[in-house]
Amino acid sequence: MASAEATAEPQGGKRSREDQAAGRGGAWFPRWYWPTFTLPGTLWLVLLFILPFYTVLSVAFGTVEPLFRTPLPVYQPWYWSFGTFDTTLEKFYVSPAIYQEPLIRTFAYVFAASAICLVVGYAVAYYTARYAGRFRVPILLMLVAPFFISYLMRIYAWQSLLQPGGYVDDIWGIFAEPVNWLSGKPVTVILGLVYGYIPFMILPLYGSLDRIEQSMLEAGRDLGASPFHTFRRVTLPLSKPAILAGLVIVSLPMFGDYYTNDLLGSQNTSMLGNLINLAVFQPGQGQEAGSLTIVLMLIVVIPMGYYLRETRRAAERA
Amino acid sequence: MAGRHPMENRWSRRQFIGRAAGGAIAVPSLAAILAACAKPGTTESGGGSAAAVGLARPDNPVELPLNGDPIAASTPIEEGATLQVYNWDAYMYKKVLKAFEEEYGVTIEWTTFNNMEEGIQKLVSGQIQPDVFFPTTDYIARLVESDLIQPLNLELVPNLASNVWQSFSDPGPFYDLGARYTVPYTIYTTGVAYRRDRVDDADASAQGYDLLWNPDYTGEIAYYDSYRDAIGMALVRNGVMDPNTGDPASITAAKDSILEIINDLDGQLRINGTFAKLPEGEFTVSQSWSGDIVGAKWYLPKGTGEDVLGYWYPEGEPGLIGNDTIVIPTTAQSPRLAHEFLNFFLDEQWGYTNFADWNGYQPPFTTIDPDSLIADGVVAPQLNKAVVTEEMFTTGLVQSQLAPEVDQLWLDAWSEIQAGG
Repeated sequence: MASAEATAEPQGGKRSREDQAAGRGGAWFPRWYWPTFTLPGTLWLVLLFILPFYTVLSVAFGTVEPLFRTPLPVYQPWYWSFGTFDTTLEKFYVSPAIYQEPLIRTFAYVFAASAICLVVGYAVAYYTARYAGRFRVPILLMLVAPFFISYLMRIYAWQSLLQPGGYVDDIWGIFAEPVNWLSGKPVTVILGLVYGYIPFMILPLYGSLDRIEQSMLEAGRDLGASPFHTFRRVTLPLSKPAILAGLVIVSLPMFGDYYTNDLLGSQNTSMLGNLINLAVFQPGQGQEAGSLTIVLMLIVVIPMGYYLRETRRAAERA
Repeated sequence: MAGRHPMENRWSRRQFIGRAAGGAIAVPSLAAILAACAKPGTTESGGGSAAAVGLARPDNPVELPLNGDPIAASTPIEEGATLQVYNWDAYMYKKVLKAFEEEYGVTIEWTTFNNMEEGIQKLVSGQIQPDVFFPTTDYIARLVESDLIQPLNLELVPNLASNVWQSFSDPGPFYDLGARYTVPYTIYTTGVAYRRDRVDDADASAQGYDLLWNPDYTGEIAYYDSYRDAIGMALVRNGVMDPNTGDPASITAAKDSILEIINDLDGQLRINGTFAKLPEGEFTVSQSWSGDIVGAKWYLPKGTGEDVLGYWYPEGEPGLIGNDTIVIPTTAQSPRLAHEFLNFFLDEQWGYTNFADWNGYQPPFTTIDPDSLIADGVVAPQLNKAVVTEEMFTTGLVQSQLAPEVDQLWLDAWSEIQAGG
């Protein structure tokens, strides 16, 4: 979507200049006219992304106030010191490597939760787009409705459902030994993440599946493909951009998520986000919090880069 | 009084979780950036007076140097002012605040922090410029050294001498001899809370701290999510009677003990374990501030009697004990009114209402008789060990300021616990 706008804009600009050069009719726009439209976006990016990120760097490579050991950001790059950043990195691979496990956990949980989101989300979106008929609007409404309640509140609700003696325990207890779901069970945290982010997977998938022309599917069937093959050769490739978008939308915030874990897990299920949250509030750990944030950013850049490359290719093919 | 307290959403004063919004790292003002010509952190010399007098300990009380003159007793009360109060979340009864507003014809602006580090960070950065602030005792010396709090004029706080235990005014507490900068707010001990319907009193007394390490309660154990309190109790349980120790081996052993709770006993680090989740039945035993277990009655589900709540605190040997304070920051706009505020909360009646009807955390008043607290139903009879007396402070173990390198040892241990060992 973003790349489509990006390609549309220079074309618009070029056309107006061509029109002008050719002396054809239509309004005349000065050279700066079209680029001006990027101003709000640029300002937004600078104020809400670049400046805060620079502050994070300044905290990570800065120092601490000696008395209270609160972080003291250093804004001049020539004074930056990378000692804390190095020691933070070492905690990932130099024994006792206390951050290694949380890192592995973060990847494992995000991978598992994204995969479940994709499988379940695809099924729901597919059904809604193809077969829901008059139930389409109610289903979509039900998907959006939870957004009216804050995520934190919903997780608190899960906390009471899952706690010993809660409803989940009651039902589970009929079939099996009671389980203490809240005592740091990876499965609870993964399902919590799935619960929190799955709507963000369903909505883009639904949008994409809904737009696939019926005639395309009919053509597939006409040419002798089985329903399974039609799905694999027609529907799936056509929905690939939405799958990628959905995966990016759910997995990026999951990498930094900490409150799901705070409320449904324990230290046994700590992820990188939890370590950052903790470090922010500990005296003298501000630089470490900044350093961990940079590490997380670098990790998140990888799927983001892949997504951008894929969507650009898709745009080029189209 | 029975049933649920009519308070909508009560959190422990030390609630950390889920309240991270509003971030602790402030984006500095442009002026601050421009002012930062020299390399930050190099101009200030840390540990000036603290280095001179040493860290405050009960056996090394310190008299803090005066960083200015207190306001004159003749200063008129700022009329129609807005008093900025910066306190722990839900650590003060709104009804009492309202009474203060009515009595003085002023408005109170109420701002909260969720943990001490956040409170200190915002005060240091100047983001919040309160008239009244509630620090823990280990921060007092540093607040004075950095000129962030002002000396009190005790003539304007007569209730300190008349209502409060003498040890807090004369000679004054170990962290502030002569009460030059602080008055006490609440006092508390740290022990173990348990469900009396699952553990009987005799058994609890026999087990003591080991209640929290008993495999019988696997999955039903809560421990505070606060590094000083968590590691502090593990130290004492392991026989290290110094909750401020700098001994690496002791700290490592305490860390391992906490990891044992998390990994082997499925225990949880929860700030609301005692006051909210134990009464609801989620936990059988929990690390507990005395004020939390006294306030836990408001959280009992309908039909559960107050007699299920139990509290163990060591007898015959020293246990963990502490108090919180009220101070007036240097930047206070209404210092005279702030003195009135301090005096108001040390008033025998208002201070008592704040404690008995809302807070659960006891003020150190001479007028409070431990027996009458039980007779009046403020503290349930079986929670008698949650009542704090002046004598307990003479032998009690007090968490106080750590030297930076010692603090780092504690924090490293804590990071390891938080990362899941």
